[in-house]
Amino acid sequence: MKAFEYATALSTDSARELVAGHGAYLAGGNDLLGLLKEYLVPGPDILVNIKSLPGLNKIERGAKSWTIGALVTVGEIERDAEIGKVFPGLRDAAMEIASPQIRNVATVGGNLAQHSRCWYFRHRDTVCLKKNGDLCYARNSENRYHSLFTGNDCISPVVSSLATTFAALDATAVVLRDGKETRMSMAELYQKAWKEVTAHNSLNPGDLILKVEIPTARGRSAYLQVSDKHAFDWALVSCAAAAEAAGGKLKSPRVALGSISPVPHQVEAANQFLDGKTLDDATASKAADMILAGATPLEDNGYKVPLAHALIRRTLLKLKGEA
Amino acid sequence: MPSWPEQTKYISKSTLRIDAPPKVTGKARYSSDIQADGRLYGMILRSKWPAATISAINLEKALQVPGIKAAITAKDLPQTVRFYGEEIAAVCGTTKQACLDALRAIEVTAQPRPFVVLEDDAKKDDAPQVWDGKSNVSSSPRGSGEQGTVDQAFPECAAVIEGFYTTPVQLHNPMETHGNTVSWTDEGLTAWASTQAISASRDGFAGPLKLDHSQVRVITDFMGGGFGSKLNGSVEGVLAARLSREAKAPVRLMLTRFDEALAVGNRPSSFQKIKIGALADGTLHAFELDNYGTPGISGGDVDLPQPYIYKVPNSRVKQTHVAVNAGASRAFRAPPHPPASYAMESAMDDLAAKLGMDPLEFRLKNDSNEVRQREYKIGAEKIGWKEKYQKPGSSPSVVKTGLGCAGAAWGGGGASRNTQGEAQINPDGSIEFRLGVQDIGTGTKTVIAVVAAEMLGLKPEQITVKVGDTNFPPGPGSGGSTTCASISPTVFDICANALQQLQTQSGIADARGDNWFAACKKLGVTPLLVHGRWQQGDPGRPLSSSPAYGVQFAEVAVDTETGLVTVKKIVAVHDCGLIIDTLTLEGQINGGIIMGMGYALYEERVMDDLSGVVLNPNFETYKLSGIGDVPEIEITLLNMPERGVIGIGEPATIATAGAIANAVANAIGARVFSLPITPAKVLAALGKVPPFVKS
Repeated sequence: MKAFEYATALSTDSARELVAGHGAYLAGGNDLLGLLKEYLVPGPDILVNIKSLPGLNKIERGAKSWTIGALVTVGEIERDAEIGKVFPGLRDAAMEIASPQIRNVATVGGNLAQHSRCWYFRHRDTVCLKKNGDLCYARNSENRYHSLFTGNDCISPVVSSLATTFAALDATAVVLRDGKETRMSMAELYQKAWKEVTAHNSLNPGDLILKVEIPTARGRSAYLQVSDKHAFDWALVSCAAAAEAAGGKLKSPRVALGSISPVPHQVEAANQFLDGKTLDDATASKAADMILAGATPLEDNGYKVPLAHALIRRTLLKLKGEA
Repeated sequence: MPSWPEQTKYISKSTLRIDAPPKVTGKARYSSDIQADGRLYGMILRSKWPAATISAINLEKALQVPGIKAAITAKDLPQTVRFYGEEIAAVCGTTKQACLDALRAIEVTAQPRPFVVLEDDAKKDDAPQVWDGKSNVSSSPRGSGEQGTVDQAFPECAAVIEGFYTTPVQLHNPMETHGNTVSWTDEGLTAWASTQAISASRDGFAGPLKLDHSQVRVITDFMGGGFGSKLNGSVEGVLAARLSREAKAPVRLMLTRFDEALAVGNRPSSFQKIKIGALADGTLHAFELDNYGTPGISGGDVDLPQPYIYKVPNSRVKQTHVAVNAGASRAFRAPPHPPASYAMESAMDDLAAKLGMDPLEFRLKNDSNEVRQREYKIGAEKIGWKEKYQKPGSSPSVVKTGLGCAGAAWGGGGASRNTQGEAQINPDGSIEFRLGVQDIGTGTKTVIAVVAAEMLGLKPEQITVKVGDTNFPPGPGSGGSTTCASISPTVFDICANALQQLQTQSGIADARGDNWFAACKKLGVTPLLVHGRWQQGDPGRPLSSSPAYGVQFAEVAVDTETGLVTVKKIVAVHDCGLIIDTLTLEGQINGGIIMGMGYALYEERVMDDLSGVVLNPNFETYKLSGIGDVPEIEITLLNMPERGVIGIGEPATIATAGAIANAVANAIGARVFSLPITPAKVLAALGKVPPFVKS
């Protein structure tokens, strides 16, 4: 990789100043170092270690909302007994991520900010649209792992399982932008990737995710994914759902899917349809139809439609099962 | 005539690997661990074009990178490149980073040429030619032919099925990548090589570098697997040697995982159009195969031994090699049996279903091999075939369970009859065996210790074993499942000679066991050096033989809404003559099954037809069985001492994919005609995937 300087920041202000336009933040490093080693992104002049930033590795447990610091590891989420009770879907999503070794260093912020896993983007010798080339290879060749929905010419999907789950939980990312804290829903955190070929999220250079706030109102949540393998594999499709419990009926339900769109895939009409409903197979199936309406499969990823349909139904019914 | 003892203390029992402590503590030194004085790192620049003519390579800037000690081109220019990843140049330097920087600083002038990487594209008349002036397609006379009268026979059948069964190119991906640490000085060349064959590796250095064999020494103390891809000399080895010569320092050149996917071998693909029919009583009657596959750019073998283990009186086979711009194939664990077994065993189940027969009964009827007959019956008992087997697709509920089975045969090479070895017996009773074989991770050192301990009346831990050095008496390459059958009779012979000489010299009538140390003491100050070689032994009760058979059963659960296949259990019933060490034997079978499971469900080299690159040169998207995927494995071994020692490495992996594929088909009532059996393909087989409409 390109040579770089290295510094450890002790405050968010100094981290921001050190990065300023020519650096990159380093937390778990799982994604960043892979990108740098393969020269997939312009190499930063400086890597700023943010692991010592005060407060960002904490989980704050409020009555109405919890705050999970950006430096909390995926492994800590997985092992936190209380998270398993308050946000079971989040715990289940964390458990599916990568391997125990990776989960122990992977951070919440890094998981949300991770770049595309498209095998053309990640290949050192293909220059695809996302790398400012003039061709989406996946669209014209091997697209088994790609999106069913997109708002631009790139079809690489968002793969952050935490983003999918946070979207269902209606969580808010708090991002340090130009010295000020900016609040973004998961839809906002990724919306730029919907429209812009080279974007994989809405963060600007120098932006730093500080924490994620999760309202506790949705006491039921669930997450399911299916991969080619049983562990240590990316989701072919992932699905998260969350709702409040109200006398056997769903209240304020939210469903989000990963790996089928450059953004966590959410259909507001489906959430509204489910609101106030008693869950049964037919209702779940109708919601799944609504969520997947307009999917445009490519040559090799049509299987994601029935797979997503099954996962939506199962995730929703899991909400019921845990009542 | 000598034969194996009937009563044994160690043979056919379980002995822990004698080198387990150094392996688990990290003391074991593999090729990449050799800390030769002044050792440099070496790296290879590979072609980023799948086909090109390289007219110029400028190494100047690479040589200016701080720490770089040498830079060379792989070939004389102009160089014709025929696959993505072909070697172009190499550098060595004091750090890995210096080498990486230097590779980027090399300026290559290339004229890209048209390329073709997919089999079906390469078959077209207007396809770019992988080799100039030569068709990509060549029919195989050896792999084609007809027995009986096929065209008459099919109409005589009560049931006929047709299927197009395909298998992907599989990568070896041994845990230890290919590579060497090489020191080439005026005194000669020493290579610490990750090789399955130290002698062939020696010749692979000596030939291209124009050295006498006597000037080359190859050492392989510990080795992390090869699966057939490390049987010969190598481009990377020769490049490391040339760099060492130029830089006047030892060079460690180990390939990366990326490199492993490109240029160091693979199992050819297969596209098998099979038509097979049986008479009303279930007797196989007619078979036809039209198969093509690619060995990449090589003339490697894609012929399949079909109709595999079955005798069909009327059989016609046509096989075609298709060249594509991709890395050459190499021998790969049981070549070319796994693709043959998968397709034939699938066709057997599909035909049984059409006949309305139980597929196990159908096999017992058509497989006359007595050993497999026994093995099928044992396996059926263990998996609970009678209680659990249901007609295809009749498992209720969304997650359906299924059973399948498949058989194997491995003639292999038997044993290498030139295998030799020696033992030095010291007056203090210590004894060291030296054999020019290599332990590729299969437990060869332990086999030597077990046989020696048995024959000498000592304990395995009292035996010192040295292998993996071309200075030792010559041994076999570890391929074809021949190692154990080569070295066990050799060690037997060394021990017999040792006892005879020791007893003569010491005057002690039986020097074994309790008398060993007293006998050795009588040697005075001069150790006894004895030689031995492979012996056939009593032809009626040989020391080693071949072939091996084996059957496997799979029980799977298939989620018909997500397509996910979960292997719940594998029952493996295997024979390999006289078992030497049960523990390492079971380890071999476990490994073979896990590899076969990867072939069935996960592994596939993906080529991109637009760019010509290998799209998944990593473990992220080249998917291997992981610990979360591996099921309960129940192994039953038939110990057949009367047959002598037979290898197991290859038979253990042959039947797995066919058994799993059949269990999946049995569960869902539909055939997935293509490996690997992914959720996407299962959903498609179930008719759940909407047809693709090109927009």
